[in-house]
Amino acid sequence: VKTIDWAVLALTLVAIVAYGMYRGRRNRDIRGYFLADRSMKWYTVALSIMATQASAITFTSTPGLGYADGMRFVQYYFGLPIAMVILAVTAVPAFHRSGVYTAYEYLENRFDLRMRILTSVIFLIGRGLGVGFSIYAPSLVLSVMLGWDMSLTSAVIGGVIIIYATSGGVKAIQWTHFQQMIVILSGMAIAFFVAVSLLPPDVSFADSLRVAGAMGRLKVLDFSFDPNDRYTFWSGIIGGTFIAMAYFGTDQSQVQRYLTGQSVRQSRMALLFNGIIKVPMQFMILLLGVAVFSFYQFVEPPLYFNPSETERIRAGEFSAEYSRLESWHHVTFEAKKTMIREYLGAGAGEASPGWRKRLVEAASRSEKVRADMSALAKQADPSSDGNDVNFIFLSFVIHYLPAGFIGLLFACIFAATMSSTSGELSALATCSVVDVYRRLVRPGADERHYLIVSRIGMAFWGIYAIAFAQFAGNLGALIEAVNIVGSLFYGTMLGIFLIAFYIKRLGGWATFWAALIGEAVVLSCAGFTDISWLWYNVIGCATVVGAAAALQWVSGE
Amino acid sequence: LTTPPNTRPPGPDDHADERSPLFGSWGGLYAAVLVFLAALITLMYIFQVSFA
Repeated sequence: VKTIDWAVLALTLVAIVAYGMYRGRRNRDIRGYFLADRSMKWYTVALSIMATQASAITFTSTPGLGYADGMRFVQYYFGLPIAMVILAVTAVPAFHRSGVYTAYEYLENRFDLRMRILTSVIFLIGRGLGVGFSIYAPSLVLSVMLGWDMSLTSAVIGGVIIIYATSGGVKAIQWTHFQQMIVILSGMAIAFFVAVSLLPPDVSFADSLRVAGAMGRLKVLDFSFDPNDRYTFWSGIIGGTFIAMAYFGTDQSQVQRYLTGQSVRQSRMALLFNGIIKVPMQFMILLLGVAVFSFYQFVEPPLYFNPSETERIRAGEFSAEYSRLESWHHVTFEAKKTMIREYLGAGAGEASPGWRKRLVEAASRSEKVRADMSALAKQADPSSDGNDVNFIFLSFVIHYLPAGFIGLLFACIFAATMSSTSGELSALATCSVVDVYRRLVRPGADERHYLIVSRIGMAFWGIYAIAFAQFAGNLGALIEAVNIVGSLFYGTMLGIFLIAFYIKRLGGWATFWAALIGEAVVLSCAGFTDISWLWYNVIGCATVVGAAAALQWVSGE
Repeated sequence: LTTPPNTRPPGPDDHADERSPLFGSWGGLYAAVLVFLAALITLMYIFQVSFA
């Protein structure tokens, strides 16, 4: 990392803060602070929706997934366009016209205060745990790659967000989302072109795709119906529709984005744009991972992409085993490279099944060494998951991108961390102030008071997120549980909102108890079955709707 | 506790048209999105079989 890279990184961070503070400089009340005075155009809202969803881990681990597992992850997004249309028809006008600040406030108007508090508290718990993780995970990766102290990385990211979010509120957050998405997409596009341009001169992009395809990296679609398999066409189109409806329709961090739209039409356009662009965007990010994979078929990759764990293993009691694997890695790589040359020289893959078979065998020997290394990493450090997927893309960036572009790519990861975290912080502050403080603790105070409390709330959640990131390393396996905690609640939340929007006959009493039953069913599925979490949303939602109907019928109300 | 009246003023088009912002009707928009999704999946399938 050269001086120019640090300059690019610093300049980008300063530009984000300055732009955010400039855009959010006029806030007179909490309508301006939390809803941007409902002044946003559809394209700003659309990019803000995408920026909130796309965390830094999306941009580091998705290319890593493309490298390690191929393109099938894109199926997870197939339900998203369908969900966007459903929400554009129902949720957007319902939220807009009821004049609410939070999705949960709408439930008080529809049911009762108990439902509002239940859903708001579920959101505060789930997202409160998640926001700490959304700073911790990228900070960990960035600190390893940049050689920074972990505390410094999370403090820089969190501190920058607190400055512009506290002063400028949602206006600052959404305008910086716009700017951050432009930085992120430019960085990704540059990385893609560099990865392709670094292929050997006699290997075309189409050749590299043939090699990746032969090694199973281009298998996009899987039509098998296996509820335990995470990424299939069916889990994507059914489970993906439900999870997208739950996330975009019931999670305040997303609802708040489209509540800032100038009008119902502008908010609808924003959701529809997200629906159209998301699948191709994820496809391209995975293809970037495949391009990096193809590049590493001609240039020897590291045996293990996490540099700090590699150093620890090399210097520790497993150094002999590491050296053995490293030698074997070199031998299998050279054998595979020779086989790839012969495969490409033999012409089209279909015409040379013999070469293809030998290539696949050589690739599986190479994969076996990587699997052995992963097992060694776990053996050397039982708290490690032996997974280096998050480090693959950044390792490529640091070693092969030209000076200046490395800084841009790191700025891109910082920007992605800030974009998702700031969206979550604003949602947490809104729920804390509007659903709890203004509703229960101190109703009837003046706007100036609420504006001050809102700024304090925003700063509090920012400081909390940084503090969580400092201690998250000690949580060990709990981190994984924290990461999926949101998916445990989404199905129940979606069931509640579906009843609120569509089934007017069902009242607050039946829905409240049905929500508790639905949550118990989802937690049982998580605790006692192997069903993929993508299906929890379908199960939770169906249970809530069914139980509410049954309870209402039994009670005879 | 009772529900307080909403203190927020309505938005500029809180009673705006019920029509879809694209393709004239919601049915048309649903159809367009399904066609779009089917086209994307077909392209991905062609991509998969071309290089696999």
